Amino acid sequence: MAVLLRPPRRSCSRITALLVRSACVLFLVVVCAASAARRDAVEGNNDTSHHPLTNSTAHKKKPFPVLSFNYDHVRKPFEISLWILLALLMKLGFHIIPTVSTVVPESCLLIFVGLLVGGIIKAIGEEAPILDSKLFFLYLLPPIILDAGYFLPIRAFTENMGTILVFAVVGTLWNAFFIGGMMYGVCQIEGAKLADVDLLSCLLFGSIISAVDPVAVLAVFEEIHINELLHILVFGESLLNDAVTVVLYHLFKEFSHAGTVTVVDAVLGVVCFLVVSLGGVLVGAIYGLLGAFTSRFTSHTRVIEPLFVFLYSYMAYLSAEVFHLSGIMSLIACGVMMRPYVEANISHKSYTTIKYFLKMWSSVSETLIFIFLGVSTVAGPHAWNWTFVVSTVVLCLVSRVLGVIGLTFIINKFRIVKLTKKDQFIVAYGGLRGAIAFSLGFLLTNSEMKQLFLTAIITVIFFTVFVQGMTIRPLVELLAVKRKKENKGSINEEIHTQFLDHLLTGIECICGHYGHHHWKDKLNRFNKAYVKKWLIAGERSTEPQLISFYNKMEMKQAMMLVESGSAAKLPTIVSSVSMQNIQPRGPARRRAIPSISKSREEEIRKILRNNLQKTRQRLRSYSRHDLMLDPFEDLSEVRFRKQRVEMERRMSHYLTVPANRQETPQVRKVCFEPEHQVYTYDDS
Amino acid sequence: MGSNSSSMNNIPNAEQLVQETGFSAAHILRLYERFQFLDKDDTGQLRPEDFGAVRELAMNPIGDRIISAFFSPGQETLDFASFVRVLAHFRPADSNRTRDGAQPEPANSSMGKLKFAFQLYDQDRDGKISRAELLQVLRAMLGMQVTEEQLQSIAERAIQEADFDQDDAISFDEFRKSLEKVNIDHKMSIRFLS
Repeated sequence: MAVLLRPPRRSCSRITALLVRSACVLFLVVVCAASAARRDAVEGNNDTSHHPLTNSTAHKKKPFPVLSFNYDHVRKPFEISLWILLALLMKLGFHIIPTVSTVVPESCLLIFVGLLVGGIIKAIGEEAPILDSKLFFLYLLPPIILDAGYFLPIRAFTENMGTILVFAVVGTLWNAFFIGGMMYGVCQIEGAKLADVDLLSCLLFGSIISAVDPVAVLAVFEEIHINELLHILVFGESLLNDAVTVVLYHLFKEFSHAGTVTVVDAVLGVVCFLVVSLGGVLVGAIYGLLGAFTSRFTSHTRVIEPLFVFLYSYMAYLSAEVFHLSGIMSLIACGVMMRPYVEANISHKSYTTIKYFLKMWSSVSETLIFIFLGVSTVAGPHAWNWTFVVSTVVLCLVSRVLGVIGLTFIINKFRIVKLTKKDQFIVAYGGLRGAIAFSLGFLLTNSEMKQLFLTAIITVIFFTVFVQGMTIRPLVELLAVKRKKENKGSINEEIHTQFLDHLLTGIECICGHYGHHHWKDKLNRFNKAYVKKWLIAGERSTEPQLISFYNKMEMKQAMMLVESGSAAKLPTIVSSVSMQNIQPRGPARRRAIPSISKSREEEIRKILRNNLQKTRQRLRSYSRHDLMLDPFEDLSEVRFRKQRVEMERRMSHYLTVPANRQETPQVRKVCFEPEHQVYTYDDS
Repeated sequence: MGSNSSSMNNIPNAEQLVQETGFSAAHILRLYERFQFLDKDDTGQLRPEDFGAVRELAMNPIGDRIISAFFSPGQETLDFASFVRVLAHFRPADSNRTRDGAQPEPANSSMGKLKFAFQLYDQDRDGKISRAELLQVLRAMLGMQVTEEQLQSIAERAIQEADFDQDDAISFDEFRKSLEKVNIDHKMSIRFLS
């Protein structure tokens, strides 16, 4: 606590201190309550045993208890909620201190908090909750993966699919065998006291520690805003290597019980890998299609639309886990499959709900995972062996670097846009390990090896998250790696990219070469002809992609119009007549946008709101499950345009005030009273 | 494929083409075989009708534009050299090309590729994509499924977004600027030709 108080002498440090103190107090309360409850339970037992004896003698009437204390009743949900609340308060606290959150990535801070909390719990003598594998794999991991999969940038992903698959499959295999093999070699060194760790155990350990972790990668890469290619490479790899990890883990676990490996087993392993990955994708795709099909009929029950998305995805994950298929790949496939069709069918509000709920859940999950990781570190029994741990860390780094360099050398022969040395460095450096490795280690049964392995795994996780996580941002800046460019949707880009797609497909036809444009074109045609008809409701099934894109942009702007109430920022509202009167812009293209005073803004907003309400249907009697019909919902093009024209007309009417002077660089029918003018500069 | 002997000696100006376009000899050979396949009546020249033999091109919304791009304005026939020169635009760019100011811009650089695409829009070759030309392209790509009103509003918005010098048309620079976020090299290259 003192550490957090020291740095800045500003009021925000006081707020943070307050938050931290209150969180700690809350926490201590629950711990005391927990121990008190235990004592109560014990006493309660004693009481009941006394009762039969004293029953006959005295019928003392106890006064009616006005206030009683019954903690056991709500214990479990209370503790869970308290943990989550603590985690979120911590998260809140970090972002209030600006200096710390820019230097240290959030994941590090959360682990640190977990360590503190774990230390406190241990000091009190209570038993700390450990990151139970079931809790992790069934409840904490799916939201993060679903969030990532649903919003996966498809174009970048499919364009780099080959590279990603090579890194994920071949890279992880290389890592696993290299680390496993070398560790066996290390264990053979005399004096390390590790002679009883046999080859299969080492390989098992290698397979656990080799996989890049999506949670850690997301947590760190989200903050450094790296360019899309690198982001999708590392992130895609972390998602797809799940299949390899699952197969290797189960394979070596089985073998270490059996003791020997035969060629048949190896072949079965390869077959298993194919089944696990393709099966996972298949399961996910089926659920995705089901979800899309269901969303076709939800136009009358908009309230539950988001739930379908979440539940079908979760079912996909669980179903895959039943058969030991790759749950992560199933979840990704489900999200990817469902998304285009569901988005065409659901309302705008449901879309926003889905987006925010996914972000919220994944944020909470991530926070909890890191805190629990810290707590488990303090709690768990450890078996520290210098040789083992240090060589693990070193080997992880070495194998990652070698793997990336070697694979890139091969991959670059097939890529059009080659990966530079800088790219390779970032990909190698971004190979972080995280909670999945820990949970897999936790599932091991052999207690002696387990402690040894867990200690090493935790050390590697700490090393990658703390050292690599903290230094990656300055390194990115030092190497001047290309950052992510802000992507404002542009209709031009969309038109031209589609045009180029058609062009390339045509050229491929002429060359007689069935390249990937050809197959993409075929897929699109199939999609348009058959799939969309089944999965998208109503007339939107025949809507071309360009039109949907255009509608989305228009809707976004219309929403902005209603929300901000300001006419100045919307170029498309200017009718074509006034286009001809536009004066040339100034040299630096700075536009002075007159900003409306607060009261006037309120007035305009009220007027707009009243006008928009008139277009809604007459309200039925109040029901809790009814959603107000959005004026922007389910309107055909013509109606939408009419409304927009109406809005525009009313806006310009209400905002026009007969004023003596009017000075806007762009001709709009907007004048403001002179005394209320406040100019803001728009650097667009 | 047929009785034509596939050797470099039969190809007119093979060496010069290799120099000019940067294709390897193997590629020139492959393209020559394709040229001969398309040239059904064996005249050594291609005509627009010969391209019609390629089935998928008919389904392509801008198929006819692509075909006409191969032929210089006014020309009725296409010889092998011109065929290869057009396809050279789609070769992946050479990363180790030295920036020599005197050398003309190679066809397969980003600029060359963009110029080619721009010409497909700008049929009358006046250096600008006018509103009418943009509408034609949109109509071709979107087909029967959209109303005239929708087309107009999309074209309107596109020109508004891209047009900086307010001349109601998109010049080559504005075209290039609107595509600055797209990796042209990647988007407009065919791996087969590398």
